[in-house]
Amino acid sequence: MLLADLTASARRLALVGLAKNTGKTVALAALVGELDAQRRTVGVTSVGRDGEERDAIDFRIGKPRVHLRARSLIATTDALLRDSGIPHELLEQTDVRTPLGRVMIARLLGAGRIEVAGPSAAADVRAVSDAMLGHGAEQVLIDGAIDRRAASSPAVADGLVISTGAVLSADADEVVQRTRDAVELVRLSELHAAARASVDAADVPRLILGDGSAVDLPPRFVLAGEPGALSALLDAHPSVLRLFVPGALPEAFVREAAVWARRGSRELELVALDPTRVFLAERGPGWYAAQGLHLSVLKPISLRAVTINPLAPQSHSFDSAALRGKLRAAIEGVPIIDVLHPQYTGARAPAPAVS
Amino acid sequence: MPPREVDLTAVGPYADHLGDGLVQMSFTLPVPYSLAARRAALELAGAMGFEEPEVVHYEGLTEGYTYFVMYGRATRTVDFTALSQEGFDIEYMSESEIERFAESHLARRIVVVGASTGSDTHSVGIDAMLNLKGYHGHHGLEGYPCFETHNLGSQVPNSVLLAKAIEVHADAILVSQTVTQQNLHVHNLTELVEMVEAEGRRRDIILVCGGPRLTNELAKELGYDAGFSKGTYPHHLATFIVRELAARVAAAG
Repeated sequence: MLLADLTASARRLALVGLAKNTGKTVALAALVGELDAQRRTVGVTSVGRDGEERDAIDFRIGKPRVHLRARSLIATTDALLRDSGIPHELLEQTDVRTPLGRVMIARLLGAGRIEVAGPSAAADVRAVSDAMLGHGAEQVLIDGAIDRRAASSPAVADGLVISTGAVLSADADEVVQRTRDAVELVRLSELHAAARASVDAADVPRLILGDGSAVDLPPRFVLAGEPGALSALLDAHPSVLRLFVPGALPEAFVREAAVWARRGSRELELVALDPTRVFLAERGPGWYAAQGLHLSVLKPISLRAVTINPLAPQSHSFDSAALRGKLRAAIEGVPIIDVLHPQYTGARAPAPAVS
Repeated sequence: MPPREVDLTAVGPYADHLGDGLVQMSFTLPVPYSLAARRAALELAGAMGFEEPEVVHYEGLTEGYTYFVMYGRATRTVDFTALSQEGFDIEYMSESEIERFAESHLARRIVVVGASTGSDTHSVGIDAMLNLKGYHGHHGLEGYPCFETHNLGSQVPNSVLLAKAIEVHADAILVSQTVTQQNLHVHNLTELVEMVEAEGRRRDIILVCGGPRLTNELAKELGYDAGFSKGTYPHHLATFIVRELAARVAAAG
């Protein structure tokens, strides 16, 4: 199945890479091409910048550029719009300033290649996406940057495509493991409906105890994460069922909760607003679940596809089909795609695991 | 030598006279100090595209390593007119101008929290920007009456830095990182941005990163409002912060 078909129902689609050079912009370019063939009008923005000629860290790496057709909408800076040389109609001048200039919303009047650098802040990304939909875009593509996930929050986007690739590790199994952890994180399950009322609208961290009562915690209890503070709190409330965190959930806090759960052979649930609020780099959600520490969210993310880049620039590469096979075996229920592989066409049937 | 017009479409290095292309460079080769090492350095410079390469100094660094200082003539140029449009070209204010600007536009102290985050042990960049002592005779933001600074030092976890920033109602967070081609340092920088987002504070806090390899292009990718590199003085940073904060205050009405 085409990426465009897998993602068609997401009016605002986020593309996020697990690292630089995982082929996210290649996936974006493929998607733009497919939508172009379907005569659908796209709007494009980027939380970083896209279509640049050279990598900002490793100058040896040339970057793919995005080719947009006439009538496409775009949110990028004034300077990049001017430098593209593409005739355009300026629709809105936003208040968003970036290190590369002020963000404008424009309709291209000719086709061409353009560097895209839109707003960085998630709330601004949502605002320009909605503005482009308002100006006639049928779908807005929000390109991520490096490993930034904030724009994939359900508060911003309706669907997500993840890009992964050989650049994560020279060991294919490690690439699979890290991709699986990232996918597990993105697909954290939704807190079951009966439990929602106890945490909805809380703006401070809150403990929910076995008898249904709630204990509100100081605002920065989770973020400041004083060592030992969480264990002491949980020890004082042994009937605790879950802990709701209205902001960032750092790994150090998750780790301490897991140690507490495992030590007492208990089950504890940590509830975040959505997967982008959870920061795990060392272990995946599955590992923590095995310790008795379960992660859930109020708003889940709709993951539509995973794209792979089997090549690590200036380094190594894997066989595309073999890597996709390994990823399919480890990750169920999501299509794994290499948009540059000769076999990637619209005619191909989806993988059996796809529901 | 009569004065010559600079051709901005073909800009190249300049040493003794315009257009001479002369470059001084230094590097180390992992070979023993010897005439063969010197020969290797000359060949390498030639392979790099330098004409008339010349070794002006070389010495054994440690066993098996030789350090070189060389001259060479660069033959390539860049079109500066195609580049100068990109990004901001900020005109920096002096310290007293910054004070006056802050007084008239903000009428309160600006709170800045800074740290070297994650595993980075280098605090020299943060110290130069924030501490009274400053750098090259330009004292840091601590010395400005319009700034309230909190320097948390080095190896600070992002979550701890952010908790402090929220506690003191920071207007800006300044982090310093030595970005290498390894993803670790980049991840530290993006994680802070993501955490600020997760806390719902991204529009309230100006995020600035600094480090030897940071450019505005990279800062944009990382999600920061500005990136400062080598050659930055505290008043450059202060100019950016007061102007950006004033613009945000004005936009918020």
